Amino acid sequence: MRGYIARRAAAFVVTLLVVSLLVFVVVRVLPGDPALVIIGPDGSPEAAARLREAMGLNRPIPVQYAEWLGGALRGDLGKSLQYDVPVGRLIVSRLPVTLPLALMAATLMVVTALPLGLFAARHHRRVGDYLAMVVSQIGIAVPGFWAGLLLILLFSVHLGWVQSGGFAGWSTGLWPGIRSLLLPAVALGLFQAAVLVRATRSSVLDVLREDYVRTARAKGVSELSALGKHTLRNALIPIVTVAGLQLGQLAAGAIILESVFALPGLGRLALGAITARDLPVVQGVTLFVASSIVFINFAVDLLYVVLDPRIRYD
Amino acid sequence: MRHVVGLLLVVLAASSVAFPAAARAQNLVVQVATEPPGLDLTATPASATAAVVFYNVQEALVKVDRHGKIVPWLAERWHTADNKNYTFFLKRGVRFHNGRELKATDVKFVIDRAMNPETKHPYPGYYEAIGDIIVKDDYTITFTLKSTTANFLLNMARQGSVMYPREGVETLKSEPIGTGPYKVAEWVRGDRIVLVKNPEYHVKGLPKLDRVTYRFIPDPNAALAALKAGDIDAAMFGIGPEHVPDLQKDGRFQVIIGETTNDVIMSMNNSRKPYTDVRVRRAITHGINKPEVVKGAMFGLGRVLGTNVDPLNPYFVDMSGAMPHDAAKAKKLLAEAGYPNGFETVLKVAPQYYYTVRTGEVIADQLGKIGVKVKIEQIEWGQWLSRVWKDAEYDLTIIGHAEAWDIANYAKPTYYFRYDSAEFQKLFKESEVTVDDKARRELYVRMQKKLVEDAPVVWLYIHPRLAVTKKGLQGLWKDLPLPAFDLSEVAWAK
Repeated sequence: MRGYIARRAAAFVVTLLVVSLLVFVVVRVLPGDPALVIIGPDGSPEAAARLREAMGLNRPIPVQYAEWLGGALRGDLGKSLQYDVPVGRLIVSRLPVTLPLALMAATLMVVTALPLGLFAARHHRRVGDYLAMVVSQIGIAVPGFWAGLLLILLFSVHLGWVQSGGFAGWSTGLWPGIRSLLLPAVALGLFQAAVLVRATRSSVLDVLREDYVRTARAKGVSELSALGKHTLRNALIPIVTVAGLQLGQLAAGAIILESVFALPGLGRLALGAITARDLPVVQGVTLFVASSIVFINFAVDLLYVVLDPRIRYD
Repeated sequence: MRHVVGLLLVVLAASSVAFPAAARAQNLVVQVATEPPGLDLTATPASATAAVVFYNVQEALVKVDRHGKIVPWLAERWHTADNKNYTFFLKRGVRFHNGRELKATDVKFVIDRAMNPETKHPYPGYYEAIGDIIVKDDYTITFTLKSTTANFLLNMARQGSVMYPREGVETLKSEPIGTGPYKVAEWVRGDRIVLVKNPEYHVKGLPKLDRVTYRFIPDPNAALAALKAGDIDAAMFGIGPEHVPDLQKDGRFQVIIGETTNDVIMSMNNSRKPYTDVRVRRAITHGINKPEVVKGAMFGLGRVLGTNVDPLNPYFVDMSGAMPHDAAKAKKLLAEAGYPNGFETVLKVAPQYYYTVRTGEVIADQLGKIGVKVKIEQIEWGQWLSRVWKDAEYDLTIIGHAEAWDIANYAKPTYYFRYDSAEFQKLFKESEVTVDDKARRELYVRMQKKLVEDAPVVWLYIHPRLAVTKKGLQGLWKDLPLPAFDLSEVAWAK
């Protein structure tokens, strides 16, 4: 196991290096110049050229990369061109929004998808199954941003239960913070749950057809035990795999939903940085998200061992 | 799917519209679509920065008021006998937010810094004519110009000429200090900027608001929802014209529709075939039905333009009828230029500005009728700036130019229009050194006529000022003679 972890850690470092190099090259190959974005069409091209020089963007790309990498290794991700604030600090300042949002969305996703998937499988080809599938189909079909707008329309504009957007912050207490993340978490989590419902259903269906489930039932174990202990546990591996991938997608979904709900999170930081060609921020955020996804995948792999003791990595 | 929407609509219709009574504390929450790229007016010309800082946090020696007139401000008066030496007499007792009084040496420091190429001021050209700056005493300062410059006072009123203390240079980008009615209290990156009242403000009785919060809500639908939910008091630059009729009917809101200096144009690359031929450019102009464009793209809001100078400019001449829509004439001109069957062309637009895409779609349809097949290519804003604006890699493009008094762009052959007319350049040069109002007006009329004749771009319409606020908010500027958002006189009705 130790050897495995060491190998994964090495792969982690290589992945991040490749990601950082890729992002670095891509954002510089893309047409678009941060100095021009800052100066805008009403400024003079000469001023933009001077700003470009001052921001150090005229130096060769390998030199810029080496310098950035050196800083990153020391934990310094550079300074935002737009905000003039260290990138690390910007990312940290956005985590209190994005992490709880992702956590709430992920929780919502799992607590909705698992029971619904189980229910559908249990009632295979009956009304309950069709109903569950219709609901999940709707979930897959509705884009998150539209769902978000509908939720705002209903719960903020007409019912006035929650704010239409913005983030109240945690300093005023736990509830105001959670309240401002509730709608986006629903829009993000429930609609991501749709995919997981289907994965759960098909995986559980496969296992339900296994001999050992039939045997268990023939032995007279309770339906709860047959479903929970004998079926779900064995069906979990593909479900966990899909859930892991879904978690990665939450990051992408957050970019759009944070804009719809005007939340100052990591997704909006990334979007704003790309538009403004704030290269250090784009790099910093991408690196952070990539690390998180690699980490989630790693956690999923480790979870396999827990779920199925037959799996050995050495 | 349809059932869900139906169900939602039923729920929405059934629920009576509960709207919390607006608290009439003198606080204002304003939506803006874009977060400023830094708050330093001497480093960025971004209108998002001006919307927060200009006139609210920092002010200049003179000010362009709500009617577009240049009035004394931090300087209580000025004097010039020869239009070359301008002496400004500073208002006494004007204090920066750090408590220190504004003195003539501060003015010299600020303008010297603007003229210094090292500081990367976005418009060094505005200060080029200044030869010498002489501090006579604490409250008197004289600018000696190398040559007569007709726009000198205007340049001193622009956003790049705001006053700040020497000790505040380091924090200009994040926490600017000025003499304005409000102080920057907090900037939560990505979420909001909060301004609070400056109790020491040099104009008695102002400002009237205690606190102004700018919230960044990029999505127009989210902005509308926030307004309807009562989470924001006003949407300044973000509600599309399609929502105006609905909001005008809603008793909770007032809709302010005014003029701006933002002229929306379709530029033709004058250095690229077939637009090198003036007949083709005229044909394109005649091929466009501007009132229909305004109707289709802007729901009828926005004044049709005929040339560059905007209606808020004192030298505005209405030339909207000079090159009217005339498809037959357009076709004839195209045939004369050697394109009897029209041609294919690409229109590049940046969807960041919604009106460019909508306008492009209407125009593509109209030009199709004279045989010009327009392919619309949507590109991201950063790309637009470097490909179209900087490198002029385009056939056609649409954008709004928000800067006031920007006719100078047509005198720069390297500008992305690539319009190069010696005659126009000569006229412009003359207008820059002509101080006599009548003579200068005459030059402006001639310049505008020349532009119409050469048709380097198609001037489409003025992007209207569309602001929506809760009822009871008073004192907002109706028109925007320059891209500023003065909140000093704004207040809730008691």
